[in-house]
Amino acid sequence: MRLDDSEEQAAFRAGLETWLAEQLPDATPSAPRAWSADELRAWSKALHAAGYAGLTWPAEHGGRGLSPAYQAIYAEESALAEAPDHAGVIGLGMVGPAIVHYGTDAQKATHLPRILSGETIFCQGFSEPDAGSDLASARTRARRVDGGYVVDGEKVWSSYAHLADHCLLLARTDPDAAKHRGLTCFLLDMRAPGVEVRPLRQLSGDTDFNQILLSGVEIPEDRVLGEPGQGWRVALTTLAHERGTFGITLTARLAVQLDRLVKTAKVCGGDTDPRVRAEIAELHVELQGLRFTGYRALAAMERTGEPGPESSILKLRWSRANQRVSALALRLLGAGAAADGTDAFWGGYWQHQRLRSRANSIEGGTSEILRGIVAERVLGLPKSR
Amino acid sequence: MDFALTEDQTGLKAAARTYLEDTYGLDRIAALADDGEQDLAAWPELVRQGWLDTDLGLAEFVLLAEEGGRALHPVPWFATAGLALPVYRAAGVVPPGPATLADGGDTCRAVRRDDGWRLDGAVQTVLHADVATELLVAARTPAGVALFGVDPAAASLSARDGVDPLRATSDVALAGAEGRLLIGPPGAASLLSALRDRATTLLAGEAIGVADRALAIAVEHAKARTQFDRPIGSFQAVSQQLADGYAEVELARSLAYRAAAGEARSAEAVACAAHAASRAAITVCETAIQVCGGMGVTWEFPLHRWFRRALWLEAELASSRPLAAIAHSLFGEHS
Ligand SMILES: Cc1cc2nc3c(=O)[nH]c(=O)nc-3n(C[C@H](O)[C@H](O)[C@H](O)COP(=O)(O)OP(=O)(O)OC[C@H]3O[C@@H](n4cnc5c(N)ncnc54)[C@H](O)[C@@H]3O)c2cc1C
Repeated sequence: MRLDDSEEQAAFRAGLETWLAEQLPDATPSAPRAWSADELRAWSKALHAAGYAGLTWPAEHGGRGLSPAYQAIYAEESALAEAPDHAGVIGLGMVGPAIVHYGTDAQKATHLPRILSGETIFCQGFSEPDAGSDLASARTRARRVDGGYVVDGEKVWSSYAHLADHCLLLARTDPDAAKHRGLTCFLLDMRAPGVEVRPLRQLSGDTDFNQILLSGVEIPEDRVLGEPGQGWRVALTTLAHERGTFGITLTARLAVQLDRLVKTAKVCGGDTDPRVRAEIAELHVELQGLRFTGYRALAAMERTGEPGPESSILKLRWSRANQRVSALALRLLGAGAAADGTDAFWGGYWQHQRLRSRANSIEGGTSEILRGIVAERVLGLPKSR
Repeated sequence: MDFALTEDQTGLKAAARTYLEDTYGLDRIAALADDGEQDLAAWPELVRQGWLDTDLGLAEFVLLAEEGGRALHPVPWFATAGLALPVYRAAGVVPPGPATLADGGDTCRAVRRDDGWRLDGAVQTVLHADVATELLVAARTPAGVALFGVDPAAASLSARDGVDPLRATSDVALAGAEGRLLIGPPGAASLLSALRDRATTLLAGEAIGVADRALAIAVEHAKARTQFDRPIGSFQAVSQQLADGYAEVELARSLAYRAAAGEARSAEAVACAAHAASRAAITVCETAIQVCGGMGVTWEFPLHRWFRRALWLEAELASSRPLAAIAHSLFGEHS
């Protein structure tokens, strides 16, 4: 049981810290700044050039073949430095690993280097209006034709689809097979004729998720990821990445949020209120619990290749903690919480966080679904359905 | 970083669990608890198995405490290993048997006479004083706090009622009792403060064990008990509570291990472990009782024994005021 970095890890961390400090202006004392899409792409390019994209990807695919602990170090340091995400978070964190695992040589050669450099942005087209939690009931239909498939259907809540070049699409190729068996994953070109993206507005006012309408979209055969009919397994691989190791990144950012909460409390005078102090202390306990549970999951991953069962609670408890942080921040603002934009503290940062974080317990699998997974797969309780 | 149990640690934990499961079935625990007794006959075996070995570090002790909490291990191991052992180790003395610590730094006085040290004063609610072969007493001397070994026969003990019958306490009164000096000032004061952190970490480990066992009892019950022709564990209103209990246990476990594993023990790490573990023990015991329904609230059903331990732990762990300590580390001094 060791909590400190190994010598190599410490050296990596130090190098990264220096690099981030050179690239980024000093972390702001208050709200973080927003990044434009162009800035994000430039950032991804720089990350890639410096060798910080795809740390855990195999070297033959342009990664560095490092253990997951390095990804954790990256997550922590970049959160602390308030670095933006790589423009292609979905590609880098979820679709890429699925391509590494299931892709053909040609698919790997086409997509992986471009995901790493931020040239190709991926979105994830899983959810449908009638298939959210029950993802396996997806109805978007991919009909077999000569040389490929023709797709019709509708996807919804697809994050960054409006910026995406490609989409990891889940569609039904065999309507007669059992629910989980008749699905196939595709690497869909978002510029193909028949693909229409319509922005959806979130309750926070953000417009970064979308509806994708697919009518008569032709997808060549070589864009099938994995075997036809194996789409469910491919989807599970990406979801495992989304909920598991990504938890470390989420926790690293939560640490920064908590820091901001502490600053807010100081500015608003809440830091002398024993109840506020106790509540923030409790959130700190939660944060540290998530952090060290993430480390346990990582250690299991390094030993066995799979995250330990305790990783299944990371996203569940993170979402609650993240929501509580912004809820408390608004309470600290008192009547000022009703303001927004330029009239509000930190330009409405907490108002926005409060509204945005409401989605945390829904996106990437709802809390109810995650508890169901823990109950059945970890505790061995009988299926509820 | 490699935050996972080593092979040796996993082995130690598994061996402890096997021994405790073999030795303390539910009936045995119930009988001992109802009589308010410790299984002192098992002490030599425990020592033989290495539960007080000098090569055990804090991480190993926390694992043993965790298994102890799981089993409600009915021996004065925590009082000895958690409270007294560091004093004996620092003094280079082998513990004579089960022992405990009476922290009388504010309430006891030691004076030097020709024939040695004499102690006067009183300490309230001293854990397992009734079965200790030696009381370690912290007492004030003109030069500062010092630690003494006192023969329990030289003290007057009065038993107190407690919420957990397996954690009996007594008030200890000393009137000119002879004490052997183990650690003098100024070392005793810093030893006592390190000892409190260490004891808190061990109790956090124990609380994880309590929560873990309560969860296991409830999960078993949820699989076996049927209502409306289905196991109750297939109802989401039941299974989701248990999943939340699991999350509670695992987060707290990470924090207890972290407090034990850190090279330099930080007050913040100890406080996080104390708060999370105590909360896990209470909430998971309560969830478990809820899931077990009417049966769960009977005296015959075992859960209340763990719930009582959780209440004892909650009180003990709250005394270090963990949230205030954390707030202090986040905001600096105030209230
Ligand atoms: C911000 C955001 C970004 C997203 N990004 C993407 C994306 O990029 N790509 C993508 O494919 N999807 C995305 N999603 C969709 C997301 O995965 C789904 O919203 C989510 O899985 C829930 O599905 P649903 O919205 O259909 O809700 P439903 O499944 O209809 O659930 C509604 C409520 O019923 C509960 N419920 C449903 N089934 C059960 C059950 N079996 N047991 C207990 N309770 C149940 C749910 O927990 C929830 O409370 C995103 C969502 C959000 C909010």
